[in-house]
Amino acid sequence: MYKFVYFREILRDTPLGDTVIASRVRFAGLAAFLLVGTAACGAAPGTAAPSAGASGGGSAAGVDARTATSAADFGGLDKLVEAAKKEGKLHVIALPPDWANYGKIIEAFKAKYGIEIESETPDAASADEINAVKTRKGQDRAPDVLDLGQSFAISGAAEGLFAPYKVETWDKIPENQKEASGLWFNDYGGYVSIGCDAKKIAKCPETYADLLKPEYKGKVAMNGNPTKSGSAFAGVYAAALANGGSFDDIQPGLDFFKKLKDAGNFNPVETTPATIEKGETQISIDWDYNNAAYAPKMAEKGLDWKTVIPSDGKYFQLYAQAINKDAPHPAAARLWQEFLYSPEGQNLYLGGFARPVLLPAMKSDGTVDAAAEANLPPVEGEPTFPTEEQVNKAKEVLAGGWGAAVSG
Amino acid sequence: MVAVATLPDVTPGPAATARPGQRRAWRGIVLVVAAVYFVVPMAVSFWFTVYSEGQGFSLAAYGRILSAPGFLPSLLLSLALAACTIAAVLLLTLPAMLAVRLGAPRLRPVLELISTLPLVVPPITYVVGISTALREGVDALAATPFWATLIAIQDERFPFVLVLAYVMLTLPFAYRSLDAGLRAIDVRTLVEAARNLGASWPYVLFRVIIPNIRSSIASASFLTLALVLGEYTVAALLGYETFPVWIVTISGNDGQLSVALSIISLLLIWLLLLTLSGAGRKRR
Amino acid sequence: MTVPAVTAAAPRGGGRPRSKNWLGALPLLVVTAVAFGIPALTLLAGAFTVKDPATKVSSFGTANLSRSLQGPYLNALLSSVQLSAVVAVAAAVAGTFLAQAVITSRFTALREAVLTFSGVLSNFGGVPLAFIWIATLGNSGVITTALGLGPGVLYNFWGLALVYMYFSVPLMVLVVTPALDGLRPQWREAAQNNGATTWQFWRYVGIPVLTPALLGGVVLLFGGAFAAYATAYAMVGSTVPLVTLQIAEALTGDVLIGYENVALALSLDMIVVALLVMAVYLPLQKRSSRWLR
Repeated sequence: MYKFVYFREILRDTPLGDTVIASRVRFAGLAAFLLVGTAACGAAPGTAAPSAGASGGGSAAGVDARTATSAADFGGLDKLVEAAKKEGKLHVIALPPDWANYGKIIEAFKAKYGIEIESETPDAASADEINAVKTRKGQDRAPDVLDLGQSFAISGAAEGLFAPYKVETWDKIPENQKEASGLWFNDYGGYVSIGCDAKKIAKCPETYADLLKPEYKGKVAMNGNPTKSGSAFAGVYAAALANGGSFDDIQPGLDFFKKLKDAGNFNPVETTPATIEKGETQISIDWDYNNAAYAPKMAEKGLDWKTVIPSDGKYFQLYAQAINKDAPHPAAARLWQEFLYSPEGQNLYLGGFARPVLLPAMKSDGTVDAAAEANLPPVEGEPTFPTEEQVNKAKEVLAGGWGAAVSG
Repeated sequence: MVAVATLPDVTPGPAATARPGQRRAWRGIVLVVAAVYFVVPMAVSFWFTVYSEGQGFSLAAYGRILSAPGFLPSLLLSLALAACTIAAVLLLTLPAMLAVRLGAPRLRPVLELISTLPLVVPPITYVVGISTALREGVDALAATPFWATLIAIQDERFPFVLVLAYVMLTLPFAYRSLDAGLRAIDVRTLVEAARNLGASWPYVLFRVIIPNIRSSIASASFLTLALVLGEYTVAALLGYETFPVWIVTISGNDGQLSVALSIISLLLIWLLLLTLSGAGRKRR
Repeated sequence: MTVPAVTAAAPRGGGRPRSKNWLGALPLLVVTAVAFGIPALTLLAGAFTVKDPATKVSSFGTANLSRSLQGPYLNALLSSVQLSAVVAVAAAVAGTFLAQAVITSRFTALREAVLTFSGVLSNFGGVPLAFIWIATLGNSGVITTALGLGPGVLYNFWGLALVYMYFSVPLMVLVVTPALDGLRPQWREAAQNNGATTWQFWRYVGIPVLTPALLGGVVLLFGGAFAAYATAYAMVGSTVPLVTLQIAEALTGDVLIGYENVALALSLDMIVVALLVMAVYLPLQKRSSRWLR
């Protein structure tokens, strides 16, 4: 029965002219499509040339910004500002506005120099930044500057992805917090902290030992998995330090989280502003600058978010800045670094509750923003750092044992 | 009495009259369970976006969406990519499926394989593969005109590389839909009859086959549109600001805004699909 | 009218036209080779590249593959397969029932609304999906507190399966609806007239006709659940070991460096699992659709 319907439809449209015109229209469409396709091929050299040109240019008054290793190479900071303004744009990646006050830092840079900043995928991780640099080599979309985890800065430098550059305040950066030739340099850091909603929780935990208490059943969360999230990895490392481990031995940290899971206190949800607002992750282990930055926003929503650095597990880590060797806007990239390491930039970091790398130098200089410094979550003593070998070994142990620790 | 009592067992009549009632009840139960399962979580999140302890009931989160910069450009880019992907997928898959049914049955396992592999490769791995291929391709083909093509398909204004990736990602879904639809009609007879009457292959495709599998094509288009408007990983890691990427970027540190954005994007996709399906019906 | 059709059709069935017919598949094969084949080849190359951490020299070897099939990686792979299988079968059954309920309903608007909404939800996933379920059944979720359920209801294998159904069932509805549409009402009437009960109709007519589409749907759902990860990462972390989580952690993250090749080997394992599933599915599908021709 249905087949007769089809035959009827075919028979109705048999008049030859109709079929021929219909096919002609279709072939015309196909031809147009092919034409556009080849035009895309042909036009490419036209569009490609400017990009190739951009990566080779960016020079002002004969200075090649791509090989400048300090402001002096430009003939002074003013000449650098000039060259950067000529480029007019800066492409950054992985800078969330509420992470160490990057939102305000970007606004301040734009206002001061009038240079447009394209902030791409703020949620990207360090590995994504490195991939972006590698994949978009030679394109205008490549990131100019990078803010990376320490290990990624070291491996990126080894792969030859960065351009050496020494900011004007280079000498004030401590020796072990920069790479000798200027391929990368630490910018800010924070301690592992325990954030807690004081409205929902009667007594907030203050140490790692506190976290095991039965009143926190189902409430202790982290900012993701330690095998993916830098702050969660630091959380496990700090737990190891709090439970008899050391920089060489992260296993007690894994054991601690196994105990936490068995006690029913561990909440596997990844902490986000939404989960905090909802009241799911009432306790969160994260960097102190992240936890502290939540507080004002959450106060508006009726939460009282407190940040405490646990006294039994203190772990401090710095992030690092680097300039892409093939940055499409090399002068703007270098100006950005100068801005970040000026007192203005470093104080802006401080305003975001992060501890800028030049903090000791600024305190002795008197250029530090005392009010912002007073707002930092209190901690006692000076931090110690693990070596790169210790960190790599810890990561290996973690990768092999984390799944077994928290599942089942 | 016993004889009369056995009669209902033999004749299907009384059983048939009992069935519609049962059928209606069964259908009702299924629909109610489905409604509870799908609607309750959405309702809970919607409530979360409009009510907070500190501010009480307010639609402020939705107001913030309207004032957020970049909404329209990213949405238009995603829609353009979706349109391109739908057209490409249909134009590529239908001739292939017809070929398999009409004269190359040994290609069927190949087609089934092609339509399942993209599904199993996690998007993150696929993106790494694409970016490595692009990277090494750019280096290897630097001297040839293909270099320009590689750069052109990565153009920010319309990244054709995303269309290619999305075509592969949507292939499993489109193939299954079209397969189910083609099974329901007798393709061989239709095509033979049409060819006998003098129809060319494009005619057969556009005027004979396609009108008969309208619901499958609609399904496949829906699935593709939803996929492109919801796909985050590939676009984000290749660095393009499509609508889903824009949503994540703009939410920032605001919990209510991020949930409100995902609800709005779901509503938007739903409206688009309703329009598509409504337009499809009107043509009849 | 029929005689000329037969004689005209005969030559078309044999020789030359058969070799021309596969040309219809050529564009698809070319595009697949470029858009999927090339990335897949780079993945293969990466999976078999072994980087010696000490000397930083790369060479070809199977060390990554053997590593990816041991310890935590093997555990995760098996757990992923288990989860995907459970979700695929459960969602296939639920989706078919839902599709049938919607199609046979009296309200045509319901069909329209459910089909479009299924299209929307079939690709809904990641953090937003995790959030709506955390808000509902999480440790402080609305339903959890309303019904007084303890913490940890959602954060386990079965909770994750429940959440995965949220995008699997709509997908099944979309895929199976055209097949259900193809079940002619005349067949139902004929069966009834011959004295079949509802159950007999489905057993001898309905399900056999639907089986190819059902099998295809199960494979699709399996693949979709197998490759999902963002939802699991946001909701259960590593408490439910999944291979996609480990791949994502190695390829894009702030912690692991130098594990990329193992991740690529894990992806290769996933593809092998898919090939195994296809190896079971293809003969089944051929057998179930043979009598339909």
